[in-house]
Amino acid sequence: MEVVTNKNDAERKIASQSNHSPWALARKKFIRNKLAMVSLSFLMLLSLLSILAPYILNVDIARVDFLNINLPPSSEHWFGTDSNGRDVFARTLYGGRVSLLIGLASTLCVTLIGTIIGAIAGYVGGKIDQFLMRLTDFVLTFPFTVFVVVLNTILIGKVSGVWTLIMVISLLSWGGTARIVRSKILAEKENEYILAAISVGCSPFKVIAKHLLPNVASTIIVQASLLMAVMIVVESSLSFIGFGVPADTPSWGNMLSEARNSDVLQNKPWIWVPPCLAITFTILSINFVGEGLKDAFNPKSNR
Amino acid sequence: MMASNDVLLKVERLKTYYPIKGGFLRRTIGFVKAVDDVSFEIKSGETLGLVGESGCGKSTTGRTILRLLNPTDGSITFDGKDITFLKGKELRKMRKHFQMVFQDPYASLNPMQMVGDIISEPIRNYTGRSMKEVKEEVFDLLEKVGLPPDAYYQYAHQFSGGQRQRIGIARALALKPKLVVADEPVSALDVSVQSQVLNLLKELQKEFSLTYLFIAHDLSVVKHMSDRIGVMYLGNLVEIADKNSLYAHPFHPYTQALISAIPTPDPHKKKERIVLQGDVPNPINPPKGCPFHTRCPVVKAECKEVKPVLKEVRAGHQVACHLY
Repeated sequence: MEVVTNKNDAERKIASQSNHSPWALARKKFIRNKLAMVSLSFLMLLSLLSILAPYILNVDIARVDFLNINLPPSSEHWFGTDSNGRDVFARTLYGGRVSLLIGLASTLCVTLIGTIIGAIAGYVGGKIDQFLMRLTDFVLTFPFTVFVVVLNTILIGKVSGVWTLIMVISLLSWGGTARIVRSKILAEKENEYILAAISVGCSPFKVIAKHLLPNVASTIIVQASLLMAVMIVVESSLSFIGFGVPADTPSWGNMLSEARNSDVLQNKPWIWVPPCLAITFTILSINFVGEGLKDAFNPKSNR
Repeated sequence: MMASNDVLLKVERLKTYYPIKGGFLRRTIGFVKAVDDVSFEIKSGETLGLVGESGCGKSTTGRTILRLLNPTDGSITFDGKDITFLKGKELRKMRKHFQMVFQDPYASLNPMQMVGDIISEPIRNYTGRSMKEVKEEVFDLLEKVGLPPDAYYQYAHQFSGGQRQRIGIARALALKPKLVVADEPVSALDVSVQSQVLNLLKELQKEFSLTYLFIAHDLSVVKHMSDRIGVMYLGNLVEIADKNSLYAHPFHPYTQALISAIPTPDPHKKKERIVLQGDVPNPINPPKGCPFHTRCPVVKAECKEVKPVLKEVRAGHQVACHLY
């Protein structure tokens, strides 16, 4: 009985001490990185505003109002109105909903598919590796823009617009992630702790999920954060040329496409500057967060 | 150590070849013959030492016996059961009975796992119990290998090499295995820590009545640990004997050269040192006949043609050499 109490005491003592897990160490380092923390706060604020837009704004963003077109910024319309008389401020926030959703969702899908394929190819090796990597090469060589345009046109009307785009982008973009994950797994599986895991009776699934993936997770997370920036740009450019999100749904790319009109571009900057700045700052912030994560996970950096 | 007479592990004509891929479409263009026709037995409760220079196939032998590598040919019989070509679930079930202590204490522990998780994982894998349920057992194991209970909540990077090796030993013992293969368990450690870990291994052997296959390149370490010793050269077992018999009367010219190279602490004692000429041949293309004939000081014509097999020259002392 005596011994048991002692052990519990020891437990309590340790639990109150600082946590030395590699995740906790990385978190501490990340919190100390000011630029990354500012960027993260900005992203969180922007996401929060976008998510809450329908609740804080009392504007019908789809309503066309021909009496109030192309109004410059005023106290009533903070960012003015566009050529259909819609409030630009409201549309920027609503556009954030769509653009951020597409960025986040397609990043998650791409990372999930890429990680599963890369991990299996890297760990199992042999014929399965050959097959999966040829599949990856195949996906990587697709002409991306053409395929998105074609697939989107075929699928539109059958599935709701935004999710069609997310699906199409994801299915065409996982190649790079799969390759990176595979190469990291190939390097990591040579460590003796993988042999040890096999010898203590872990199934191949458990070896991958519990021993390999946590050790390559830092790379995957950094990769995913940078990928999200790319995905937002992809959405914007596709919408800009008119093949992304359906034109009636506000997204930053759709709003920018108004700038194709030279009169808007030259004389009515309030219509296209807000979405432009939103995209720029979002991507900048995501990249700073990504860099911060990279530093935090790197045991050699003391920043 | 009391060695009973029942054989725990029997290895017969074991061969492990690594394929070399190359050329167009990565076909197999050759093999590295890492282990080439090795046979021996380990009795319950004894320690068999395996020595040889780097690259002679000691580690490959150990890993193949534990089926962490797939043998090319031959047979491995563990406790009366043929495990040579077991696969999947069947093999996982058997792994419980044989465990390994790894060479590199830094690479053999998962940096993302808590020590408590590392040590309890084998038990949880085979019993399906939770970490909480096996906690007491893990604390017992930590105590047995000489680590404080605090270690449970710490991570591998917070320990020194010797302590990490203790964690590795605790993991290997968690399942109460019958056979433990120790693959150069102290060669990555400081000399001052080496003896502590070696003595720990010896104490645990007594307590858990373990059987060891002890792989090392340090002759004095092997002598300290083993009951019997096997000498390997270029994937072949060239001599195997009781340790006293081997050190007093080495028969094989390679063993003689090895033993003559052990440094003595007495500076006045003159020793005759046998210095071997040349290098170890490439295991991709080992020499015909006796693998040692290219460097043997007493080579005969027969050695270049016929590969010698192990034969008993004294009671319990086997040598693969044409001289005897």
